[in-house]
Amino acid sequence: MAGIYIHVPFCKSKCTYCDFASYPKEIGKADLYFACLYKEIKAKAESLKNYEFDSVYIGGGTPSFVEPKYIFGAIKQLRNFYKITETAEITIEINPGTLTEEKLKIYKSLGVNRFSVGLQSADDRQLSALNRIHTAADFLAAAKLLKDENFSADILIGLENQTEEDVKKSIDLATDSGASHISCYALKPEEGTPIFGKYLNGDLPSEDETADLYDFAVDYLAKKGFVRYEISNFAKDGKVSRHNLNYWNRGEYIGFGVSASSFIGNRRFTNTEKIDEYTACILRDKSPEIFGEVIEGDEAEFEYIMLKLRTSDGFEFSDFKDRFGSDFRQKYAEKIKEVLPFIDIDDRRLRIKPERLYVQSEIVIRFMD
Amino acid sequence: MAEKIKENIRNFCIIAHIDHGKSTLADRLMELTGQVAERDMEEQLLDSMDLERERGITIKLTPVRMAYKAKNGKDYVFNLIDTPGHVDFTYEVSRSLAACEGAILIVDATQGIEAQTLANCYLALDNNLEIVPVINKIDLASANPDETAKEIEDVIGLDGSSAPRISAKNGINIDQVLEKIVEDVPPPKGDDDAPLKALIFDSYYDNFKGVICFVRIMDGTVMPGMKIKTFKGDKQFDVTEVGTFNPQLIPKKSLSSGEVGYIAASIKSIEDIKVGDTITEALRPAKEPLAGYKSVQPVVFSGIYPLDGSKYNDLKEALLKLKLNDASLTFEPDNSTALGFGFRCGFLGLLHMEIIQERIEREFDIDIITTAPSVSYKVHKTDGSVVTVDNPSRFPDVSSIDYCEEPIIEANIFTPPDYVGAIMDLCQEKRGVFTDMTYLDAKRVKLNYKLPLNEIIFDFFDGLKSRTRGYASFDYELKGYEKSELVKLDMMLNGEICDALSLIVHKDKAYPRGRALAERLKDVIPRQLFEVPIQAAVGGKVIARETVKAMRKDVLAKCYGGDITRKRKLLEKQKEGKKKMRQLGSVEVPSEAFMSILKIDSDN
Repeated sequence: MAGIYIHVPFCKSKCTYCDFASYPKEIGKADLYFACLYKEIKAKAESLKNYEFDSVYIGGGTPSFVEPKYIFGAIKQLRNFYKITETAEITIEINPGTLTEEKLKIYKSLGVNRFSVGLQSADDRQLSALNRIHTAADFLAAAKLLKDENFSADILIGLENQTEEDVKKSIDLATDSGASHISCYALKPEEGTPIFGKYLNGDLPSEDETADLYDFAVDYLAKKGFVRYEISNFAKDGKVSRHNLNYWNRGEYIGFGVSASSFIGNRRFTNTEKIDEYTACILRDKSPEIFGEVIEGDEAEFEYIMLKLRTSDGFEFSDFKDRFGSDFRQKYAEKIKEVLPFIDIDDRRLRIKPERLYVQSEIVIRFMD
Repeated sequence: MAEKIKENIRNFCIIAHIDHGKSTLADRLMELTGQVAERDMEEQLLDSMDLERERGITIKLTPVRMAYKAKNGKDYVFNLIDTPGHVDFTYEVSRSLAACEGAILIVDATQGIEAQTLANCYLALDNNLEIVPVINKIDLASANPDETAKEIEDVIGLDGSSAPRISAKNGINIDQVLEKIVEDVPPPKGDDDAPLKALIFDSYYDNFKGVICFVRIMDGTVMPGMKIKTFKGDKQFDVTEVGTFNPQLIPKKSLSSGEVGYIAASIKSIEDIKVGDTITEALRPAKEPLAGYKSVQPVVFSGIYPLDGSKYNDLKEALLKLKLNDASLTFEPDNSTALGFGFRCGFLGLLHMEIIQERIEREFDIDIITTAPSVSYKVHKTDGSVVTVDNPSRFPDVSSIDYCEEPIIEANIFTPPDYVGAIMDLCQEKRGVFTDMTYLDAKRVKLNYKLPLNEIIFDFFDGLKSRTRGYASFDYELKGYEKSELVKLDMMLNGEICDALSLIVHKDKAYPRGRALAERLKDVIPRQLFEVPIQAAVGGKVIARETVKAMRKDVLAKCYGGDITRKRKLLEKQKEGKKKMRQLGSVEVPSEAFMSILKIDSDN
């Protein structure tokens, strides 16, 4: 089974930490953009006719910010040209300040059955410092609309002056209002974003302070019945995100729209992040792809290790053998020895010790040549 | 066969303190003699290395030949041999002096005579060179040429009244300098028909022509086709090309006595040519070689290791090539548990060390790790034997040591009187012993101190400059060895001694240095998956401890749209960074750590 990703590069205003392809001032191009998106969806259908898709993810930007007709068109187009399974997980990202009853009704009519809501913080001052367009109250209102739905909330750790109490409030707000899934990310100041200046000023919590806050969040979520199934993702009652797990399983997916990435066969490729370049390509029947590479051999194995070890379960040696034909423990004996204090390993599987998941990069790069 | 005076040749060098305008004057002389068209001028032609231009110093000797029609109507050939100005390069200066009959002494009209200028000037007088004083920078508002002229008379004993007053920068009165060269510098003497005697004063390796020898012909004539040999070597070579410097190489039919030029003879191995040696004819050798140069002893030592262990042979080749025109550089193979195979190198001083390191990295493109500089100690053992130790990792076990000796220098520090107190404090901190203080005039004091060499190799010069706002200058001479209570300071990472970080220090300095070094290492060693204790120890006893805490968080953020490639690239970058580090036991140490020892004093 494979996944589909659709990128909506519009939002009302840019958050201070945002490094993604999202253009608040370009909403005037929405008609052209979506027309091109539909065209791209159709154009790639022939080559993917043997695929079945059991997850669709509409991300951004802010998909809930654009008129619902555009989302309607996108999902219709997918259903027209692709095999989307009956039970497919269809997720849309929601900014709490933009959800209305009307929009929700349309999304549901299209079969959207999972909502990823960007809460980030329960503190209005922090929300406004991040240039978020909503308040905690807006989140409550959105959660009320979604109360019978499967929804997730995003929470940010490592904000200026953030305390454990703040983190607790954010988690409480999300979970008490019915979220069954939490994505808890540590803020990573990217060069070129406004918050990078704050980072350089030393205004943001240090590595240790952020790690302390994160440890607190992990413990607190566990108390509330949320299981950490991936470094930054927590689910109650088995409500994991199928779409994201597909990434960590090194599964295939096709991405449509600006900056969308795909992994089909053994090839990874990514579209341009510029709206104008994207539309110009599509209108001329040219590929909007700006980067592509075939991943084989050890590189493929490394990808598998780096992705699988993000999950709490790690991976099973039998699965590794099925995919790559070699015995993991034999081939990587030396490297396993190097990371032994940080992993759990038995004769069936390998995983990173839960308390070490947060230094996953440092551990997995030891498996790279 | 008789000695003849080569009336139309003038061989000279220029002596000046750093920044007093030597390279600029050389450029003007070349410009005025039509050697270079003005539009082709690149600032400071003779400083051909990037490093020389950037630092505003001259390291290599670059000769140039100029044609000059004097006011007396006669044509002259000038050979200018540039000289380095820094204290570390005294040896190089003596090399170029031996090839000349005269020296232009540049004195800065705003600053007067500096210590190093004086030292080089005495060197020139010792070599029987005629000194032509020139007063430079007269265009500056603060210039005081009259006082400078008086100083030349008082301090050096030369007639300062007739010294040309010039501005090399603005090209003022440069013609007077040219005339002075004709009038005052004696023409060379030599016998064109006698057996060849050519002094090698420099050399470098050319990929096409082999070793290029820079020579001053004392006697005889050399031309292509001639069989030559050197006095120190036994191989014979066929001369393929001779010529002069423009400053680029310009081939000529022959070179004869009195001339300065180059010889190429398809010499493939750079070890066959030693600077200071004499070239003669193979078939008709001269009876004895020229005096050559006194050999110099390196005083500062450090380990140089390739960052990438597989570059060991490249590094060796680079050192061999550098040694070709820098006889003062010494090196021998060495190995360290921490850094692998490399070389223990000896230098004339800290600047010399820095220059060599930079040249290896720039000219040969080899990334290197250098260990902290050391000096050469004498360790007297209980069994009566004496060992010389310039590498801390070879320091004998404490129980076998009777006593140690360390090299001591006599420092001459010249300063305006205002800074005497500050300098005394500095020398005191560096274990100095005051010996003398004299007022040269109302504005200049000379302080004499005896100082252990190992105290000045780190940052004495920086300390001196910062405490005197750059006014003091400093010059030193090795005095010999004195008894000293020395200990080996070891640094331990995760409980294991890192040999490349060990230092030999005076026992009173062990504690502050150990503590400072541990603190510094804590800052440069990145956090790892586990806690890393850093300990400083003397004779197995821990005297300071710091800890690099375990890494807590390095996870890559959310990946929107499934961009796995970007994630993988970031991990590759992280891995790349690791490759630049040294694995010491289980600890990864960045290469800067090995140089951090150098910086501890300046922070305290």
